[in-house]
Amino acid sequence: MEYSNQRPPQNYSQMDDQKTLDLEESVSETIMRDLRMIAFKLKYVLIPKEQEDNGKELRNWDLWGPLIFCLVLAMTLSFKAESTTTSTKSDVFAIIFVLIWVGAFIVTLNAQLLGGKVSFFQSVCLLGYCVFPINIEAIIIAFFGSYLPFVVKLIPVLLCFAWSAYSSVGFMASLVPPHKKKLAVYPVFLFYLFLSWFSLIV
Amino acid sequence: MLDNLNQDVSILQPSLQMTDSQVQNRIRQMKMEDPEEQTCYQKFCNLFTIEYYREYFDVTTELVISKVVNSFNPFSGTFFDIGGGIPELYGPFWILNTLIFTVALSVNISKYMQLQPGEHFEYQFQIVPFLAIFMYLKTLIVPMIYRVALKCVSQDRLTLLHCFTIYGYSAVVMIPVSLLNSIPNPAIQWMLLVYVLFAQTSFLTSNFNQELKYMPKEKKYMIVGLVAVVQITIMILYKFYFFSSINYQQLGLVKRKSHNHILSHILGAN
Repeated sequence: MEYSNQRPPQNYSQMDDQKTLDLEESVSETIMRDLRMIAFKLKYVLIPKEQEDNGKELRNWDLWGPLIFCLVLAMTLSFKAESTTTSTKSDVFAIIFVLIWVGAFIVTLNAQLLGGKVSFFQSVCLLGYCVFPINIEAIIIAFFGSYLPFVVKLIPVLLCFAWSAYSSVGFMASLVPPHKKKLAVYPVFLFYLFLSWFSLIV
Repeated sequence: MLDNLNQDVSILQPSLQMTDSQVQNRIRQMKMEDPEEQTCYQKFCNLFTIEYYREYFDVTTELVISKVVNSFNPFSGTFFDIGGGIPELYGPFWILNTLIFTVALSVNISKYMQLQPGEHFEYQFQIVPFLAIFMYLKTLIVPMIYRVALKCVSQDRLTLLHCFTIYGYSAVVMIPVSLLNSIPNPAIQWMLLVYVLFAQTSFLTSNFNQELKYMPKEKKYMIVGLVAVVQITIMILYKFYFFSSINYQQLGLVKRKSHNHILSHILGAN
């Protein structure tokens, strides 16, 4: 859908020009721009070699990426879950959704309480992006899980868990003073362990 | 002013010294008690700032690890000597969360291990929110009971936060025990229950005993007895809700005298 061309009057400032240009571009372009930004951040967070400036890129935090990964994970697991007598598909969706956001909130709060000076949303953004490997393993297990014995299923689970934990630990450990590093890192580890176990068991 | 503060405190209470952030907090409080300097926000909303709670998270990794190791030892009674007896909330909170995770894990493992040959594995997620609520309520209410009892015998050295700290760390024993609890053998489960009951109760009582050494005997025994009774109640609730419902209902049996049936089912299934 194209917005009809509305030429701005000549006396608008440069910034207003930019804003009206944003409004004039097509929706697909806006969405692609956001997706490219998410992909860039994802590569930055998950592939440690891309980080040359020690996490400064994360100052431009956004919560779109975490939301997308959280929704995909919750939908994958609830799609795969069969309705049993004790839990339904919507229960699984609700538990995963709440777990990711409340868990990220609590882990960030913990880092702040231990003396870390980081913006709250930066840390939530990072934790959300690091959920991506868990997404991958949930999809693998959802499609191939019924054909594989349990031990073979463990391998991608453990690998993706290690990948998530490793990517987020570097950032979290840099937030707090050195004698509290393990204290700040342990909750992150527990958070991803919980998520991996959920995706394994469903 | 800082030096005087620390000296005064250390004369009165030799084992309860203050850390830097506690001293900062005290100074802030003293400044704020001056009514002209206090804004309305500071008066009522201090509870909602992060800085208010930072003093309770002022721990190092070695401190937490040494406290955890100490809580496995039920007889030493030296818990309040580690790190100067400063109350903290990091340990209790994360031990609680780890415990919730391990109990949820072991409930599911226990169900999995009791599968009959043709049956499909039904994981239990419903248990996670209920377990979380049970554990959080237990950790909030029981230290309050202890504090009220201590107040009744007019023991004021142990504040509410000390009770939270020690109760939180006493739960560490339950983490490995709950992992072992996934074995569906009823004899093992009862033995583990007795062990954890014994370990937790004696850890709590020997530490409270250290603080209560100078009190008359009846008051001491009252506190110790209260601790034991509360622990036993909670353990029995825990065992009979989370683990017995799997043992008996899963195998289609409800009565307790069917121990033989359970054993033969398990042995027969293997």
